[in-house]
Parts: sequence; C-alpha cells; structure tokens
Amino acid sequence: MAGGYTGKILRANLTDEKFKIEPLPKEWIKPYIGGDGFGAKLLFTELAAGTDPLGEQNKLIIGTGPITGTMWPMSGRTVLISKAPLTGIWGESHVGGFLGAELKYAGYDMLVIEGKSEKPVYIDIHDSDLALRDAKSKWGLTTDKVTTAIKKDKHDPDVQIAAIGPAGEKQVRFASVMVNLARAAGRTGMGAVLGSKNVKAVAVRGHGAVEVHDLDGFLEFANAAHMRVRNNPIAQGMSKAGTWGLVAVKQEIGEFPTYNHQTGVFEGWEKLSADYIRPRFTIGDRACFGCSLGCKKVNYVKEGPFAGTLEEGPEYEGLMAFGSLIGIDDYATTLKGNQICNRYGLDIISAGSTIAFAIEAFVKGAINEEDTGGLKLEWGNREQVIKLLEMIGKREGFGAILAEGSKRAAEKLGKGTEKFAIHVKGMEVSGQDGRTHRSIALGHATGARGADHLRSLVVVDQLGYEDVAAKRWGADKLPEIIDPYTEKYKANAVFESENAYCIRDTLIVCWYTVSWPPIFWMDDFTTILPLATGEKHFSKVENLVEIAERQVTLKRLFNAREGITKKDDILPDRFVKDPMPDGPGKGQVVDLEPMLRDYYSLRGWDLETGLPTEETLKRLSLEWTKSHS
Amino acid sequence: MIQTLINRTGGIHAKDFRVVMCDIVGHEVVYLPSQLIVDFNKCTGCRICELACSAKHEGKFQPSLARLKIVRYDDLGLDIPNVCGPCETAPCVDICPVFAMRRDPITKMTFLDEDKCILCKSCVGACVNGVILLDTVKMRIIKCDHCGGDPECARVCPTGAITYGPDSSSATVDKHGKIMSYLKEIERTDKVYSTGAE
Repeated sequence: MAGGYTGKILRANLTDEKFKIEPLPKEWIKPYIGGDGFGAKLLFTELAAGTDPLGEQNKLIIGTGPITGTMWPMSGRTVLISKAPLTGIWGESHVGGFLGAELKYAGYDMLVIEGKSEKPVYIDIHDSDLALRDAKSKWGLTTDKVTTAIKKDKHDPDVQIAAIGPAGEKQVRFASVMVNLARAAGRTGMGAVLGSKNVKAVAVRGHGAVEVHDLDGFLEFANAAHMRVRNNPIAQGMSKAGTWGLVAVKQEIGEFPTYNHQTGVFEGWEKLSADYIRPRFTIGDRACFGCSLGCKKVNYVKEGPFAGTLEEGPEYEGLMAFGSLIGIDDYATTLKGNQICNRYGLDIISAGSTIAFAIEAFVKGAINEEDTGGLKLEWGNREQVIKLLEMIGKREGFGAILAEGSKRAAEKLGKGTEKFAIHVKGMEVSGQDGRTHRSIALGHATGARGADHLRSLVVVDQLGYEDVAAKRWGADKLPEIIDPYTEKYKANAVFESENAYCIRDTLIVCWYTVSWPPIFWMDDFTTILPLATGEKHFSKVENLVEIAERQVTLKRLFNAREGITKKDDILPDRFVKDPMPDGPGKGQVVDLEPMLRDYYSLRGWDLETGLPTEETLKRLSLEWTKSHS
Repeated sequence: MIQTLINRTGGIHAKDFRVVMCDIVGHEVVYLPSQLIVDFNKCTGCRICELACSAKHEGKFQPSLARLKIVRYDDLGLDIPNVCGPCETAPCVDICPVFAMRRDPITKMTFLDEDKCILCKSCVGACVNGVILLDTVKMRIIKCDHCGGDPECARVCPTGAITYGPDSSSATVDKHGKIMSYLKEIERTDKVYSTGAE
C-alpha cells in the first residue's frame, strides 16, 4: 500500500451486528486520492438512486485522507459523507478535532456505517477490537454528557468520540455530529442519519502508526510549512481571534447578512467584532490535531442573563447566525446559542437561518401566533432565540416545524412564506451574500450540497488581492476578476478555487490553510502528496486538477441521479430580485445566468441541462457511472 | 578564547542564533544546563509535539509511542502537556532497583541507561506524569532522552508552551495561572448565579 494510507476499510453493519474489514482498493488511489474522493466513489457505487436518507439503505462514511494523522499542518480533519436528510442529495460535512487521526491510528482509512440497529448502540473501535455497545442509558443525553459517559465507561480519557445529541435522535433535518464536544460536522444533517440508524456515538481509540513514503523529505517540508503558517500575518491574526476578524471586514464590504439576508450591513456589528469580544470573553486558545494556528477560542460569560456559559466558539458563521441574522448585537447570546447547538447537536447556520426565516415571516404578517403556538416572534429577542433552539432540539411545538429546515417549514406553513426561506436546494445560505460578492453567488448556486461557502468560496475578489489574482488567473483578467460587483470571469475564479478545495478535501487539510489569501495551494499539494504516498502521478498540477474535476463531476452525477439539473442551480429571489438596500453595495443584484453558462462550459457540462456531457465523462474516465443509474 | 553562555530555549529563532554565534572565530558557545519547561497557559493541545517526537524516535507518526503526552480536557477547555520535566522528587530514580535511572543534580532531569534496564516496569508505574511507557512490541522502556540536548518537542511547539532552557525564573504558580484563575472564576459565578456551570 502506498504511504500515508492504512489500507483498510472498516464496515459496521448494524442490521447484522457485524464488522467487516476490507482492503482499500489500490486502483482508487490514483483517480481519487482519498477523503471526499473515496467517499464519492463508494457512495455513488453502493447507493441506489432514490434511497431514503433516513432509511436503512442509506450509508454514512467517516473518511480520512492520506496525510491525516501526519505532521502536515492542520491535517486532523475528518469527513462525514452520506445522502443528506436536509437536501436529499449529496451530503458531506468536514469536522476538525482528533477523530480522523485516531481512526487512522486504529488502522482504518474509512469507516462505513450501514444498516440500522434495532436498539440504541454506540460503535466502539479500539484498534482491532470492534464492538457495538448498548447505548440505552445514553439515549437522550446531550453530546457533552454522552462523550463524558463513554470516556468513563472505557476508563480512557483519550478516546475520540463523535456523538449526536437529542436533535440527532429526533432526526432534526439539520442535526450535527459533534466531535471533541465543540467541533461540529454540522451541515446537511449527518446527525439525523446516525439517529435514524440508532447510533448514538462512534468511539475510536488507536495505538498504531501512520507511515509516509519519504519521512525525511516529508518532515522537512512539513516543518517548513508549519513555519509558513506561524509567520503568516493573517494566520497570526486568526490565532488571536479565529474567524471573528471577518465581522469587521464583512461589515465594511457590506456582506454581513442581517435580518435574514435582507441587507448586508448591521448597525450593531461592533459588539460582535473581534476587538470587542476577545478582551471581554476569551479565556483560552485551543487547536485541533496538528495545527500550529489554533483558531479555537474558549469563552466564558461572567455576567448577564447567560452568566456561567463556558464554551468554545462560535465562529464567524455563529456570530452571523445568532447575531446579525436575527438582529442581536450581543456576543453572550451567540455563545449561549452555540452551546445549545453543540449540546443538542444542531447545525448553527441552518438553525439560525431557519429561525430568521420564521421571524421574518411573522414580522411581515405571513404567519401569526396560531402558527407559532402562541410565540410572538420578533427581531433581536435574545431569550426567544435560545428558547426556539431548545424547542427545535427537542422537536417541541413550533420547533417541530422549524426542525424540518426552512424549505420544508415554508412548504408546511404555506401562506407565501417560501420567499422568506433563504436556501439553495434545501440547504440554508451561509454567511455570505452574492449581491456584494458575485463569485459566492455562483458558488452557492452550483455547490454539490446546496448553498455552500466551503467548496468554492473565492476570497481573492472578496478582499481584492490583486497580486494573487494576477498570478493565478493572469493579469489580462484584471481588474474585472477582483471586482466583486461584476459577473465577468467569476466562473474562472470559482472553477479554479473549487478544484483546489477539492484536493484539500481529499488530503484532508483544514480550510484555513487555503484561505485569505492561501498559505498553501496546488504547488504545495503536488510536493507533499508524492512525499507522503510515493505516487508520482500526484506531482503534476494538471493531474491534480483532473482529479478535482472528476470529483466535482462525480458529485454532480450523484445529484443528477436524484433529479438535480440546471433548474435547481438557482438562488433565492432575495439575491436575484431584491437590490441590496444599504451599504457599499447598494442597488446590486446577481445576474446568475452568464456566470452559470461560463461555469458549465469550464466544467464540460451541458449548457441547457447542466449535466456532464458524454465527452466529459470520457475525458474524466467516469463512464462506469452509467451502469449505476 | 571568548566564551558565551547562552540559553538553549528552543522555539523559532534559537537555532539560527546558535549558528551565528558559532561562526565567530575564536569564540565558544557554552550551553547552560537546561531542562524542559512547560507553560500550561500557552498550550493549545495541538499535539504537534507528540507527532514530532514519534517521527524522530520511531520514524513514523504514532502518538501512542511519543515520549510526552498532551491531556485534553474538552469540557473545561484546558490542555495539559505532560513532559519528562524537572520533577521535584524523582520517583522513577528512587524506585529503580538496578540504578538504571539517573538524575542530573543541577537540572533535575532524569536519564535512562538502557543497558542497565531489566524491564521491571517499576518506573512506568511510578512516573507521576505518565510519560514512561513500556513498548510491548519491541519490549523496551520508552523514556524521554531530551533528544540529547535539542528536544524536538520544544523546537516544533508553535506557541512556546514547551521550551528547553535553564531553570526558569517564573514560578510554577505562574505557569499554572490559567488553570487556577479559571477554576476560581467558575466557582465564583456558580455561587453567585448558581448556573450549574461545570
């Protein structure tokens, strides 16, 4: 087996209560690398079209990449892949923490969870000792309690645990899987998949090793890479304030989603900015596995209604989801909301966005107290948000409707509430706004899992890095390509970034090494991958680009099987029809069509249907997919 | 011959400094007796030290065989690095029946002489930091040797939580300040608001 891999896939069949260890197919490595790539290949092959995401036939994959568990900076990430309950299409969620590395030390590249258990269980992996253990006493517990309980059961504080909370058990459509208490595989509802299978948690402990092909070369390059992270001024800023620094930046460029994405500037932004929060609330810095940046902040509220709240986070998206999006200018509320989400196991972005949807529908008179069960929803009500979150987590009253996500909730409520549900393909829009950042509009519309900010977010145009743009796309495309208000060349930027992020997601490394502006890019991946795996094929950028294109197209084919075509690559009317009301981008709307056409032709997809053409399938050697329809 | 006494503090720039000093003609660099120093306040729990340690000594990435251990308390948001540092007393030295374990009188660091070791595992149980291990595959005691004076863990630590230098001037209580103030604050708020904080 090539270096970096453990060469084993572990399958846990819950229906038969059996484990099976399979060799990792060698022929997967060259075309798919690992992580997302293996997941896409496996899920496409083994899942029939139209599978119910919450049914017995669905599978959940916990995947790692070839450099997971090594010294390469920020290589401790894990991916959870399944058919998504929230959207009914391709679902994946990446999570930090220590789970992925531990899984590799236990000796497995991937864990595939299949079938459905009759009673609540947790999957216990201790090197080669595999067991399904009874989790009856743990059913109903919040994620922090269940993590502590399993560590106590096993008499080992170093067990790494991925757990679901009550929201996952109740199959809330956007339930998350929590790792290390505060790291969330949040988006697309992976927690609901585990909940539907009656799996409360996955506990992993490993004592083995990850060996790379060329250790000396790898260490030299990895150590240099760590120094690049440490000396990078933006990375240094992030180790002080995590992603909070974005609040001030986004406010300045008018892209800080406020009042359910109605506008892009928030009057109370200063109380959510890094300079305000850090001295008042932060008491410690933490990091995920192998990370020299350390963006996780431990925060503590000393006074006010939420005094005594001790929790890591939230990130920028949390400040947006429970702050500006609902009109709250109070950090303590976002921290409390973050804590509730972590404990109940809810996706922060979807939870905040769904609540914002309900508030706007109520405030604009589309729904009333009869629909909400007597709740008077309003912008900026701190206690109400916390209460709604708990109701969603428990599926109580009005919370049961919101637990379906904003798309389904709008369908259920009717009365013209659809226009307040800000989602793409069923997944709530993250903390960006296409009107003042045109490339993310294209990213949101075309993302494989819905409105996604982590697969194709171009930061170069958002923040205007002229030199990076010139180097990457050629000076002839300036200045349009870094102008956030024009559609021109945006497809090129999205195409190139998405390809690089695809490789990032196969390795798997953290998003923060390839962001603002990237510390690592394709050139670094072409150096580290051959050093780790010994596979010379990975040493050329064009080969990696082809692998990335194959992956994007394969995910598209997965979605196409579920009926996704060009008609679904759309944005909510809010971004396309309502001009931005205030801020620097006042009056801007998105014109999606030209960007979509550019993007499709770059990807080799049909301009009218948005589906991959025959030539593209041939070029990317994906013809085998035709026999799996 | 001019002598310069320098601290071997590890960290980012220490090595470059040493190289420059050694290049001066007629000049000798003398290292002060050093020990591994841990500052609990600075540790982020990234475990890069465990990776670097196992890579250097074992040639692979295997934290379970690292000579040091980061204990993470996720519920409190604390990370405690356990290294083979200068213990006040050295139970491993006291308990060793064959005098294979030795302690430097100045730096208080301990060393294992593997030739004398009879694998009785007494030190494994006696170590208060839990960083002396028995490798049951190769049947040997795994014990930090401070990399012969240039510890890899101090070199790679991104926050300076682990350093290698002469006896530190800051008192132990300062290095534990974060934990102390933190626990006190939680206790206080719990009393005032009875929030049930853990």
